[in-house]
Amino acid sequence: MGLVEFAAAKTLASSAVFLFITVLLMAAAKRTNRCIKLFAIQCAVITAQIAALAFMRHSAEAFAVAALVFLVKVIAIPYALLRISRQLKVTPAVVVSTTPVQSVFIVAGLMLLAFAVVQPYARAFALDSEMLAAATAIILTGGFLMISRKKALMQVIGLLVLENGIFLAALTTTFGMPFVIEMGIFFDLLVCVLLLGIFVFRIRETFEHVDVSRLRRLKG
Amino acid sequence: MILWLTLLFPLASAILLLAFRNARAAARTALVAGAAEVVLLGSCAWKLHVYGVLAQGRYLRADGLTLFFLINLGLIFTVVLVYSTGYLRHVPGGRFSSPRWYYALLFLFLFTLLAAYLSSNLGVLWIAIEATTLASALLVGFYNTEGAVEAGWKYLIMCTVGIAFALFGTIALYLAAVRAGVPTSAALDWTVLMAASPGLNAAGALLKLAFVFVIVGYGTKIGFVPMHSWLPDAHADAPAPISAMLSAVLLNCAMYALLRMEAITSHAIGTGFSHALLLAFGGLSLIAAVFLMIVQRDLKRLLAYSSIEHMGIVALGVGIGGPLGLSGALLHAFNHSLAKTLLFFTTGKVRDTFGTLRIDRIRGMASVLPYTSAILIVGGVALAGLPPFGLFISEFTILISAFAGSHYVLAVLMLVAFSIGFGALFFHLQRMLSGEPHASRGGIKILASEAGAMCVCGVCLLVLGLYIPPAFTSMLHNAMAVLQ
Repeated sequence: MGLVEFAAAKTLASSAVFLFITVLLMAAAKRTNRCIKLFAIQCAVITAQIAALAFMRHSAEAFAVAALVFLVKVIAIPYALLRISRQLKVTPAVVVSTTPVQSVFIVAGLMLLAFAVVQPYARAFALDSEMLAAATAIILTGGFLMISRKKALMQVIGLLVLENGIFLAALTTTFGMPFVIEMGIFFDLLVCVLLLGIFVFRIRETFEHVDVSRLRRLKG
Repeated sequence: MILWLTLLFPLASAILLLAFRNARAAARTALVAGAAEVVLLGSCAWKLHVYGVLAQGRYLRADGLTLFFLINLGLIFTVVLVYSTGYLRHVPGGRFSSPRWYYALLFLFLFTLLAAYLSSNLGVLWIAIEATTLASALLVGFYNTEGAVEAGWKYLIMCTVGIAFALFGTIALYLAAVRAGVPTSAALDWTVLMAASPGLNAAGALLKLAFVFVIVGYGTKIGFVPMHSWLPDAHADAPAPISAMLSAVLLNCAMYALLRMEAITSHAIGTGFSHALLLAFGGLSLIAAVFLMIVQRDLKRLLAYSSIEHMGIVALGVGIGGPLGLSGALLHAFNHSLAKTLLFFTTGKVRDTFGTLRIDRIRGMASVLPYTSAILIVGGVALAGLPPFGLFISEFTILISAFAGSHYVLAVLMLVAFSIGFGALFFHLQRMLSGEPHASRGGIKILASEAGAMCVCGVCLLVLGLYIPPAFTSMLHNAMAVLQ
């Protein structure tokens, strides 16, 4: 076994663990900027995983997807988010409705839940149950971040984490969707982040704060 | 060729429109581009009528169902564009809130809707539906007021999360197809999946999982209760023509996506599961919406809840199934879009005159705005499902199908909900129409473009209520044949 094969196999074997660590650290993070960086790391792990898979299966398409993930999710989106966060000039704290300790426990609970729910599907379709559980846990954590964090920017990060989970689920179950579809999804995601950025600034201009939980005019 | 041209022309127009800083020039160019697009859509419809199915390359395809929704889209887009040219006289300042951005985004919105209708691939369909949210978010936030910004934010976040679920469902369907031996490059192609659906029976559990995620995902965009909370906000705070586009076209487009997915699911594992889910979501939306209509204080929010109600009725029609239920549902989607467009157009006039849409602050509308009031009453009667308008026929068809399928409880529930909805609508309308106006306000004249747009909607509603042309009936049958 060559060195590259060894590296690829190790990457595939250990990426689930790294993903779980990023998710837990996100739950514990006290600053928005740290969350953005953790998101970039999470995407880097996914990039490594796609690249490893691409190498094992000799798929040029998958290498292209890996490059795209790297450019869009590891570089472009975190860069844009960090820029927005700097320009907003609001306090860097994430403003949570749960303490970091509680958040970590809740996310750990979500992981256990994820492991429990994916077992039957993993068995029926002969899939890697750890990766499937990691994908499900990331989806659930994204949802949890969106509900519990009050800053507009943190909701964007929650959404991106959730999308990461779905992407990972597609990767583990079907080795990704056809390339054209992946491209379209990336494009949508990029435009979505752009638009959300525009709206974050508008919220700040019109309300002079970015606390989404105080957006309560429209009800009923 | 014609499909590509029809699809890409709005995109090119959108880019071109951004070059016009002058409001009048932008409006005129938009009208010319709109007319050209209508010609393209017309020739597309004609070719579809002649050949039945049009396909181009791997990703574009149009059949009878597409034709039905394309006609709907073309009609509503035309009247919205014509109405907009008169409506867009006073625009707020600010980035992305100028006439040229308005028209450009409107054409971009049209492009994404067309992409959804013309795609043959479920992945492309998902991308297009997500793109409809992206294209319309800035239009929802067009006024840049507190409410509009909040509504735009909520719309973007909620629909994107919702649609992410639909992506998960699409992936699950893809997995089922790949495992059943469909080649990966074709495993998202709708026609291939329809042909292969009997073979997907083995992966029944996975298909059920997929459909649950898809109905929650696309259901968020359709406005099913309990995923509806973005809908009243977005409809209430968007400019009136955009509210009409959202309610009349966007909801139908999401329903179209759900219909395509439902057809595959029910072909593979029988109609039981998907129909039960549709009945549950449809019934819940219908009941919740009519009760929420009673307590509304804003005219546009009232209309938005009525959209949820009517989408619930459409879902019930599909869920009851059979030729009768499905034809009623499709007809209802068409009729509802006409009635709701008409009503949202009148709200533009009401806001111009009274400066508000709060129902308790509007009094004596009948004497201040006689023509608009008359149109509001006509639209209200149509929306309540009374003859001689189209919605009466379609609601009645769905009711008959409920009785014919021995869904007696459901039929009674629908009748009760219809009467509550009717009561709520007219309770609010009569409060606004009657009484003495607060101050002596001059009514604002209806422009020719606005009158024309409203007339088209009204006449179409009346025609569909009194006498459905044979051409329309055959179009409806072709649409149903695709799904069965």
